[in-house]
Amino acid sequence: MNYIRPFILAALPLCLGAAGAVGTELWSLAPVASPAIPVVTNTAWPRNTIDRFVLARLEHEKLAPAPEVDRATWLRRVSLDLTGLPPAPARIDAFVADALPDAHERAVDDLLASPRHGERWAQHWLDVVRYADTHGFEVNTERPNAWPYRDYIIHAFNEDLPYDRFIREQLAGDVLGQDAATGFLVTASVLLPGQIGADEPSKRLARQDSLDEIVTNIGQTFLGLGVNCARCHDHKFDPVSQRDYYSMQAFVAGVEYGERELRTPESAARRVEKDRLKARVAELDHDLARFVPIAHPVDGPSKSGMTRAAVNPRLNTDRFAPTRARRVRFTIRATGNLEPCIDELEVYDTAGRNVALASAGTKTRSSGDTVVENRHELRQINDGEYGNSRSWMSNETGKGWVELEFAGDHEIDRVVWGRDRNGEFHDRLATDYRIELADASGGWRLVADATDRATYIAGKSEPAPPALLGLAPDEAREATRLSAERKQSAARIAVLDSAGTAFAGIFRKPDDIHILRRGDPEQPMDPVVPAVPVALGATASGDDTNEAGRRLRLADWIASPTHPLTARVMVNRVWQGHFGTGLVDTPSDFGRNGSKPSHPELLDWLAGEFVRSGWSIKHLHRLVVLSATYGQSARVDPAGLARDADDRLLWRFPSRRLEAETIRDSMLAASGRLDRSMYGRGFDLFDLRGGLTGFKPVESYRGDGLRRMVYAHKVRREREAVFGPFDCPDAGQSTARRRESTTPIQAINLFNSRFTIDESAALAARVAHEAGVDPRNQVRLAWRLALGRDPSPSELDDALAVSRDHGLATVCRAVFNSNEFVFSP
Amino acid sequence: MIHPPQSLSPAGAGLLDRRRFLTGASTALGSIAFSSLLGREGLLAADPGFAASRPFAPRHGHFPARAKNVVVIFCAGAVSQLETWDYKPELIRHDGKPLEGGPAVTFQGPAGNLARPQYAFRRRGQTGKWVSVLIPHLASLTDDIAFVHSLTSKSNTHGPAENFLSTGFALDGFPSLGSWISYGLGSENQDLPAFVSIPDPRGVPQAGSNNWGPGFLPAVFQGTPMSAKDPIRHLAPPAGIGRGDDDAARALLGRMNARHADAHPGDGRLAARIASYELAARMQLSVPELADLSSEPAHILRLYGADDASNANKAAFARNCILARRLVERGVRFVQLFNGAYASGGELNWDGHNKLREQYDKHAAILDQPAAALIRDLRQRGLLESTLVVWCTEFGRMPMFQKGAEGRDHNPDGFTCWMTGAGVRPGVSHGTTDELGRRAVADIHPLYDFNATILHLLGLDHEKLVYEHNGVRRRLTNVEGNVIRELLA
Repeated sequence: MNYIRPFILAALPLCLGAAGAVGTELWSLAPVASPAIPVVTNTAWPRNTIDRFVLARLEHEKLAPAPEVDRATWLRRVSLDLTGLPPAPARIDAFVADALPDAHERAVDDLLASPRHGERWAQHWLDVVRYADTHGFEVNTERPNAWPYRDYIIHAFNEDLPYDRFIREQLAGDVLGQDAATGFLVTASVLLPGQIGADEPSKRLARQDSLDEIVTNIGQTFLGLGVNCARCHDHKFDPVSQRDYYSMQAFVAGVEYGERELRTPESAARRVEKDRLKARVAELDHDLARFVPIAHPVDGPSKSGMTRAAVNPRLNTDRFAPTRARRVRFTIRATGNLEPCIDELEVYDTAGRNVALASAGTKTRSSGDTVVENRHELRQINDGEYGNSRSWMSNETGKGWVELEFAGDHEIDRVVWGRDRNGEFHDRLATDYRIELADASGGWRLVADATDRATYIAGKSEPAPPALLGLAPDEAREATRLSAERKQSAARIAVLDSAGTAFAGIFRKPDDIHILRRGDPEQPMDPVVPAVPVALGATASGDDTNEAGRRLRLADWIASPTHPLTARVMVNRVWQGHFGTGLVDTPSDFGRNGSKPSHPELLDWLAGEFVRSGWSIKHLHRLVVLSATYGQSARVDPAGLARDADDRLLWRFPSRRLEAETIRDSMLAASGRLDRSMYGRGFDLFDLRGGLTGFKPVESYRGDGLRRMVYAHKVRREREAVFGPFDCPDAGQSTARRRESTTPIQAINLFNSRFTIDESAALAARVAHEAGVDPRNQVRLAWRLALGRDPSPSELDDALAVSRDHGLATVCRAVFNSNEFVFSP
Repeated sequence: MIHPPQSLSPAGAGLLDRRRFLTGASTALGSIAFSSLLGREGLLAADPGFAASRPFAPRHGHFPARAKNVVVIFCAGAVSQLETWDYKPELIRHDGKPLEGGPAVTFQGPAGNLARPQYAFRRRGQTGKWVSVLIPHLASLTDDIAFVHSLTSKSNTHGPAENFLSTGFALDGFPSLGSWISYGLGSENQDLPAFVSIPDPRGVPQAGSNNWGPGFLPAVFQGTPMSAKDPIRHLAPPAGIGRGDDDAARALLGRMNARHADAHPGDGRLAARIASYELAARMQLSVPELADLSSEPAHILRLYGADDASNANKAAFARNCILARRLVERGVRFVQLFNGAYASGGELNWDGHNKLREQYDKHAAILDQPAAALIRDLRQRGLLESTLVVWCTEFGRMPMFQKGAEGRDHNPDGFTCWMTGAGVRPGVSHGTTDELGRRAVADIHPLYDFNATILHLLGLDHEKLVYEHNGVRRRLTNVEGNVIRELLA
């Protein structure tokens, strides 16, 4: 039964390093130093302190920095970097013409003040925490309310939320008035109930795995430490023991993966409104029931000749003349496919009460069940809960029956049933069925079947509005009015539901955490209490019975201005965002296996400056992008190449290919179709929002699909069809640094996709509209919008010839594919 | 070059980190530094001309390879070892009795009594190996096959277990076997992807694209999904774009990139991206030819069962098998061929919880003839000399039926996979489960060992094929894995 056990031995990550004996001092754990500002020979070059550190090192290596880049190129570089979008032509002209000495400063201030900035830098953070809008793993179903955390991150970067506060809120936002922020704790893939084995060892292992993901996320993201390496035995290279690891787990041992109501001043009012609307919908259903056409089964009373609506996966109502009954039998005779599944079977009496509920004393029997514990069980057919994971499934393909026996006789007139009221599942739908009633004496009588329903066409059937056919005019008016009100109320309930909750963790009494021998949940050893790794210090003492208090204590310790790792790790991430490589090129590993910084003094100076500025990330951005280091051209110099091919010393600006999101967003910005609306539920990249298979990519985007890619509904593992292969993370493991690969699949996607063709046509149409009839001006404007410059005379001639023979859209297609467009200059 | 001295072997990462490599390789000094690095680390023997512009350039492994190509036949849903390859006569005797000391609850719920194998077994071939009558075509090949009957998995849940089989980790996000191999060896064909993944006509398996994902390896090494019915996406522009417009756009792009490269001399990444468009253009020509099965003669279609009008799923799978052979013929390094789709109560894959016999009759009819034909066809063309064929599934099934059902629950404690072809010792049955098939008892091999053996046959040392990610030197086999020597010729 404990079949997990032999493998736990193997579960430790491969923490092997080439060098570095345990016991020698780890540089990253030394206090942040206040280094002296270096003296440089070329005193004319530096613009700020960063430059002195960089230049001192270059001079030491006998290298010279590259010349300053031209103004238009600098503006394009910094715009793509800070906002992920190219500058508008008018903005470039104004900047190039701006003769005031603080022109660069004002340009940067504008970019940092733009809401586009938070959207751009949130993406870097979301990569690290492996954010996604599905649950991953076994079924990869939608995680519908993950996005409030994404919005929180965007907002935090836009507001320049002090980083220490940012840390505290993500670990304990529930007690700091920022509920959505704790989405951080539960960004990982997780096995949902029902996917975990029914045996206890499977459950314990799943819980351990989910806690491990939280500890891993905290360690890597904030501290740049792979503490999870110590899950199975003491860390081989870093000062983290197994006891340390489990003590870290104890901080988050009360966190469950799940949705929580966001408590805002509005949320209480929302709840009241929701309860009221739900009661009203129940009333409306009862009132509307009398307009549902009466079923006329094949061997029942005379046929009316009227066809009822086809069955649909969500909700079906079968109405019949009021009948006194003790038992109801629902027999399935055919399904769309597979074994039939019903999420809830309701039977209403003439007073509008659901008498089928188990809580009303109703008993169930069936022809046979496919049992998946807590997902498909017979008891769930009348438990009052909806959805696939609260349903009954037959054990026979295409058939099966369920019988309900009430505690007493009831006068009933309606049976209501569905495959999945939540609308996620459409398979296993009963397409041919019979509903029979029996009184206490036993004789069965058919009251409804599918013979008078229209034929079911998969994907076409939605819950039917009340048929007005055969109703008197005043009845028809009444039915229409009630139905409209019901629709409105249901839509409002859906809005209230999603507006009010976030997948941000559920907090409960913490599990008792033990050191696990070899990481095996079946071999618990000493119990531990919350504590940080001994080598890293200690948190303030506190009351361990207070769950949130545990997390807050951890947060306070991480966010301390004297913590040696916290500020260093974050300034390094910011540096990497600007230059592609951090001063430490292993951004989530500041341990012994990670790299040492290329400029240790600069790293410490920046870390100190970060804390001194009140943990302002925008302050860091300003420092970096206004430096002479950042303002160098990207020209390749043989001396630099020979001495330092990686450009770690920054003898030139390290240009690089833009990220997937920046390419897509920039195409939309150039074509003029970018929708700049912010926040909220993600737009669809596929026809499905979760699942394992059959994702059909959206080909032509319209409406909210033209928003920035950070607002896409992110399906874990399923990379976006055109831009995903441009090294988009799949949100499985943390991506602290995206690889930059070049593949032929990228080429065919960007060259042939409908998206490129659409945006090329849109850019061509835009310039034709805005630049007037002269084709030269049209080409010029296309160049300025996409590339931020005028074409050279030979480029202009070349483009004009192609445009004449093949249309301007063909030219735009080449422009969007060009290296100049997809590389940061 | 500046390499922080304490840095972990940057060779694996540096091999493909274009900033380091391309700019480095474009200078003599860079090349020297690079080769010395490889020499020192004893990692991959690098083709000195290797560059990101030729990511699939063939590369040597760590030692001479027995196999050049791999075809993995991946049966999703967990094939019962007891109905196929692992003959358990004692289970017939114990039919209907409880399993003493067995679990009361297994993955899906309460356990029922022991249940006899649902198919008769017959002795096959020279070795006289007992194989079920469920799969007669594959059974006729047993003399050439090396079986491992004692494999174990780390998870009893399909998604994580498929991750474990394909990536060596039960968690999401790690590189797949095919990605590791194309990272290590490149490909023999520069006009096609190094790694092609062919989904079952009925859908993709439970762990989906994780089975062919690159994890944290460069994206170029991910499997490219295609099948006989669905070609590679975006291979051609959408309808309405004329050939002339297409050529004009490509030519203009070439001139723009050339001008841009002239203005930015020495940046190897620009050249790599230009080269990627050239490879894409070659793919646009070679893939349609590859996927066009109309040139296959009638006797080949018949051999595979691709002409079976009575069984559309079998015919479609057979066409995928023919496609697999064509990929191998063209030198594609790694072909992953799926049989079985996602969770469906055992209807669309091998997950026989409830009506095992009824469902396995259907699934075996799809798998058996086409897969056996693929192996025969590879052999008759001499391709099996250089091609390793692997048959695998994520775990096995319990010797008991589930309570109230006629099917078996998940069992990761002892199951069968096999391999045949290049470098494989024919006619071997290695490892055993107990007399009822509940768990492996002798020569127990976690799937790490099976994967280590596959790498070994390709000339790769599973302990040396590494890639640094977030400060950890990652391997396909984590910190485990022993080559199963008994399977080697």
